[in-house]
Amino acid sequence: MVILETVLEATWEHIVLVYTTLLVSIAVSLPLAFAALYSKKIEFAVMKFANLVQAVPSFAVVAIMVPFLGIGFTPAVVAIMLRALLPIIKNTYIGLSNVDPALIDYAEGVGLSQWQIHRHIRLPNAYPAMFAGIKFAGILANSIAVLTAFIGSGGLGEIIFQGLIGYNTRTLLAGAIPAIMLAVLIDVSFTMLERKVTPGYVKE
Amino acid sequence: MQTERLFERIDSIHLEGITKKYGHGFAVKDLDLEIQGGELLILIGPSGSGKTTALRMINRMIEQDAGTVTINGINTKDADPVRLRRNMGYVIQNIGLFPHMTIGENIGLVPKLEGWDKERIKERVRTLLEFVSLPPDMFMDRYPRQLSGGQQQRVGLARAMAMDPPLFLMDEPFGALDPILRKQLQKEFLKIKNEINRTIVFVTHDIEEALVLGDRIAIMNQGELVQVGPPEELIFNPANELVADIVDTQRKFKHMDTLKVKDLMSPFDEKYVLEGRTETCDAVDVMTERDLETAFVFEGERLIGQVTMVELMKCRTRSQKLSDVARPVKIFQPTDSVAFALSEMKSTGEYLAIVMNSNDPIGILISDEVLLKLI
Repeated sequence: MVILETVLEATWEHIVLVYTTLLVSIAVSLPLAFAALYSKKIEFAVMKFANLVQAVPSFAVVAIMVPFLGIGFTPAVVAIMLRALLPIIKNTYIGLSNVDPALIDYAEGVGLSQWQIHRHIRLPNAYPAMFAGIKFAGILANSIAVLTAFIGSGGLGEIIFQGLIGYNTRTLLAGAIPAIMLAVLIDVSFTMLERKVTPGYVKE
Repeated sequence: MQTERLFERIDSIHLEGITKKYGHGFAVKDLDLEIQGGELLILIGPSGSGKTTALRMINRMIEQDAGTVTINGINTKDADPVRLRRNMGYVIQNIGLFPHMTIGENIGLVPKLEGWDKERIKERVRTLLEFVSLPPDMFMDRYPRQLSGGQQQRVGLARAMAMDPPLFLMDEPFGALDPILRKQLQKEFLKIKNEINRTIVFVTHDIEEALVLGDRIAIMNQGELVQVGPPEELIFNPANELVADIVDTQRKFKHMDTLKVKDLMSPFDEKYVLEGRTETCDAVDVMTERDLETAFVFEGERLIGQVTMVELMKCRTRSQKLSDVARPVKIFQPTDSVAFALSEMKSTGEYLAIVMNSNDPIGILISDEVLLKLI
């Protein structure tokens, strides 16, 4: 039997781990997605790398961190990030590059600089695809954050593994149920953020 | 943020020796074209003729391989493209309204980037929407997809006017609209054009549109300029088959209202002139000798009327003079419209009229011949 305090603590650790990873992933993905717009080579390299990392089993990605980065919070963030990058980069890139060429043409024609086109035209038009990618990455991150308990990240994974090892269903559920609820929370939180930044034409 | 104006008004735009290669061929080949300040110049031609390429080299959306574009003597190559384009209004066929911005934001985007404050932008947006007949309160906060094609195109026009640019570049702005709507917008645009009195370069593939809107029309084919001139010139003096084909004679009927009397009159000749004091029976001989059916009777410089051979041949008395029998004749100004002139002549059953430039006879308008020229 686990006490409530332990569950809450683990849940908090889990939230911190997932959201930190997502923020880092977004911060890394956006420049890469924009860079991919400028050169086919960069696009190729970025997409290949993201696809490759995606192909490695989650648990292997987690395990492979240990020889390089040791154990603890940081290697866990890196491991989760490697899995979370692909959906964000891919969707952001698709969103950015699928903007109607006529809009870009027009924007150039009225004298918008490249930066202004990115800021005012491409990015807002990429939001729907981008957020779909982020939400998917969020779900991935949440599930991999369970696995990273093995390399000392803390979080709900610890409780779940305790439950598994001890054949203790109640302990297992005490870890698993908050993890499921977190998945919902992540989706809802980013949907709300999306609503806030996405212009009205999508909402209606 | 504020971009300094490169020019307040356009004196002239010169395209000299403009060439743009495209693969193995030429999109535009050695093009020389002058756009005069304040005119609406149409660029027209079959697809692939290089008309859009030529337009897009003016704002450096396409960089020419050879040749220079100068605006008021400023080589566009020496100007920053962003700054250059901020001096021009730009309208394109698919309008390019930004779907994620409201109508107000669409129109106010460039002013915003130019650092205008919110109130000033709002004020400007309202003025422009009213100018294109869209009630601001109704449209400002809508999104483009909530508007009809015609309304969107009006917004496109308003947006191009946001910075009150001295030059407009328009690439088939009405191309995507259905024909009735297009006609309507053309009519409105003509009104707007006269009101704003700006220099406009206008690409179209629709010759009717060109004839209605253009001050001058430049016909392009395979990257080269074939002929440039006012609509009448292209219709009556086409440089070659292609031009004649483009301004298709059958269409001239539809454009009679754009044609002037001076375009269709026959030149006046001294042989048509008879003196008022000439006796009618003598006049018959003179007219026979000159091979005339009709003549105009003058007293000195003053036009009295017309006489016809048929009437004069009834002459009996020697004392009857031309000034006694001359019938009134219709007089038109060279700038009168042909449609007006023809309907005037039809109402009185005349088939002949004289064209006077103040007091000088300069031409004769013959209704049958007008029709022949039109057909």
